[in-house]
Amino acid sequence: MTSSEILSYLTFIYFLVFVLYLLMMVMGRPGIGKTAAFMLLGSFALHTAALLLRWQESYAMGIGRAPLSNLYESLIFFAWAVCLLYIIVEWRTRNRSAGAFVMPLVFLAMAYASFSPSISSQIQPLIPALKSNWLITHVVTCFLGYAAFGLSFGFSLMYLFKRNDPTEKKGDSFTFIPNKDMLDELNYQMVVIGFLMLTLGIITGSVWAHSAWGSYWSWDPKETWSLITWLIYAAVIHSRMVRGWRGKKIAILCLVGFACVLFTYFGVNYLAGLHSYAN
Amino acid sequence: MEKTVKGEKPNPLWGFLSSVRLTIVLLILLALLSVAGTLIPQKEGAIEFIQGLNPNIIKILEFIGLFDLYHAGWFRLLIGMLAINLVICSIDRFPSAWKRFAASPSVDRIHQFEDLPDNLMFSVNASVRQSCERISTLLNRRYRRVRFKENNDRFFFLADKGRFSHFGVYILHLSILVILLGSLVGSFFGFEGFVRIPEGEKVDSIMLRNGTASISPGFEIRCDDFTVEFYENGAPREFRSTLTFLIEGKELEKKDILVNHPVVFGGITFYQSTYERVAGKLIRLKITTSEGGKIDESLTLEIGQKIDLPGKEGTFEVLEVRHMGSVPAALISVETGKSDPTRFWIFEGFETIRSRLPEQMLRSPRFDPKAFKPYIFVLEEVQMRYATGLQANRDPGVPLVWSGFFLITAGFILTFFSSHRHIRVLVEKGKNKVHVKITGSASRNRFALERELQRLVQDIKSLFPA
Ligand code: HEM
Repeated sequence: MTSSEILSYLTFIYFLVFVLYLLMMVMGRPGIGKTAAFMLLGSFALHTAALLLRWQESYAMGIGRAPLSNLYESLIFFAWAVCLLYIIVEWRTRNRSAGAFVMPLVFLAMAYASFSPSISSQIQPLIPALKSNWLITHVVTCFLGYAAFGLSFGFSLMYLFKRNDPTEKKGDSFTFIPNKDMLDELNYQMVVIGFLMLTLGIITGSVWAHSAWGSYWSWDPKETWSLITWLIYAAVIHSRMVRGWRGKKIAILCLVGFACVLFTYFGVNYLAGLHSYAN
Repeated sequence: MEKTVKGEKPNPLWGFLSSVRLTIVLLILLALLSVAGTLIPQKEGAIEFIQGLNPNIIKILEFIGLFDLYHAGWFRLLIGMLAINLVICSIDRFPSAWKRFAASPSVDRIHQFEDLPDNLMFSVNASVRQSCERISTLLNRRYRRVRFKENNDRFFFLADKGRFSHFGVYILHLSILVILLGSLVGSFFGFEGFVRIPEGEKVDSIMLRNGTASISPGFEIRCDDFTVEFYENGAPREFRSTLTFLIEGKELEKKDILVNHPVVFGGITFYQSTYERVAGKLIRLKITTSEGGKIDESLTLEIGQKIDLPGKEGTFEVLEVRHMGSVPAALISVETGKSDPTRFWIFEGFETIRSRLPEQMLRSPRFDPKAFKPYIFVLEEVQMRYATGLQANRDPGVPLVWSGFFLITAGFILTFFSSHRHIRVLVEKGKNKVHVKITGSASRNRFALERELQRLVQDIKSLFPA
């Protein structure tokens, strides 16, 4: 089986994992959550194996490059990074409620990569400008950052769904969600990780651009949108310093931030520039 | 957290310029403007966009910099404000960070040990002196500074580490300034240019990107060779130019340059950017006569090389070769010494392209291969060669920007992954055992502190085997 076949099957497994996490919330049954968590670990392992396999396939084709350089591969890596971060968070917080909010990102990314007719899963050789180790660090850091922002998006949604009332009715679907202070804290931690990674992503991107095109910053739309995202999250980080800007306002800013991430990722392809994967 | 030192009257301007509220507003404004810049066509893209608009409106829009937003005055003004905000805010807050860095809180604060959770208190089987010695060794091994104090038969330890983390945020913010400074230096003292060098030739000037001016770098660049390789699917795999740098004709350095592997000479960085195919120096042509009788062998000559005509009526040379509508063409000049030289263009594959040429061109003697009777000049082949296109930039701001990148990373690590932790240990004599209590405080990440305290409890306990 080729790596892209494995990955397209994984889409369905991830969807199943999402359904299980959702059932756990709706039915209030922690047992289902446990099954979901185990399945997630299994699919993550398979996902990792498929990435390595794809790498090896590229060597077998005589191209030999890391599987990180077109839209297909970046989506697959994004899904992988979201899973990785989510597994770490689930393990650290011992709470599975975010699964229902985060898994949609994973299977949507996988489904888009595997089933969109406009995305080719073929391993293509690299044009000269993309042959750079900076490219690999650039993609890895950016997408780890995007994954962290994806989790922050999930936590922000949870924050907005969760009621303030501490005496929630039993059987309320949202009882599994941690309390608001904890959500706020988790959200902030994700923003911080995402911001750090995005910063490193922008840095490695500019070093790469400098070696390939001679200028570390040229206001191309993708660059500009990553800067916009960066500015929004910088605003999020600083709004914690201003009294009264906790919780809801930050959650909403994080939603805006994630919308910027998505635009940086997909929307920019509709504006012309250096980064458009299309050519 | 807009607080002012007690007793001082806050200066409203200072308060405004040092406030984090202003930071947030500026960050969001800059973000919004950048969005506008990606939606409104900029620079060259704007030309098409503004066609059909009222010229006065265009003038106004140009005046407010709508078509070059990122270089517009007020975009820069906002960035300048952010920089000022950053400087003032840092000055405002630095003293308190310094205080926290340099503080040496008193060691025997008994109230810090009140209301401790059970897992931070335990007893050991040892004398007080033994306990203090062992604990002291452990703490000294693990912490940067350990202080000790005895008070009323109670023995206090205060250890701390990570006090430099207070400066993380300042390094982070400083790095932003360094990057901004670097970009400023680049825009004042740098340039972006371009050179195009056919294989085997050299240039001594660089065309600037914006505008028609060119500068001479004080040396010559020769392109010795250019190669391009393709993948099977036709996509380019690699471009490579071999360059030689010369000063006053002396070869100083020979370098290969590839995409992603620029070369620096004389403070100017050369990047492989594009390439094209251009006419080379060698031309193969054939001379026949209109009667079709005596046909010469085809001959190969260089541009500028004078050759006798077959009947020794004079000489001819090729002055220039060039592509006309993608067809190679050569400019022939025939001199007989009697009158002005006869000049005309001949084309490769003239018979086949004839139908594509405009009527006037066919009638003009400048394009007539029979212009010098009785000969017919036939251009057989123009040797092709590559011309390499190199981006040639100077940006003295780059080292600053790079150090800013380094600082920002260091600042992040200091800010987010380290914290100033104080650990307090109290040793006191109980009835027949020695009681140990542990507590601590951290400038950030309380959870990590909690884990550290737990580990310390375990490690101290293990110093006293039962
Ligand atoms: C684009 C530029 C900026 C970036 C990337 C940036 C980044 C950061 C980061 C990452 C933190 C750490 C947050 C934390 O501790 O959780 C921070 C804190 C802070 N920033 Fe900025 N910042 C920027 C501009 C500014 C400006 C212009 C000001 C001016 C008022 C400012 C004031 C502060 C303050 C007061 C803190 C809190 C420091 C503390 O914890 O004591 N920042 N900044």
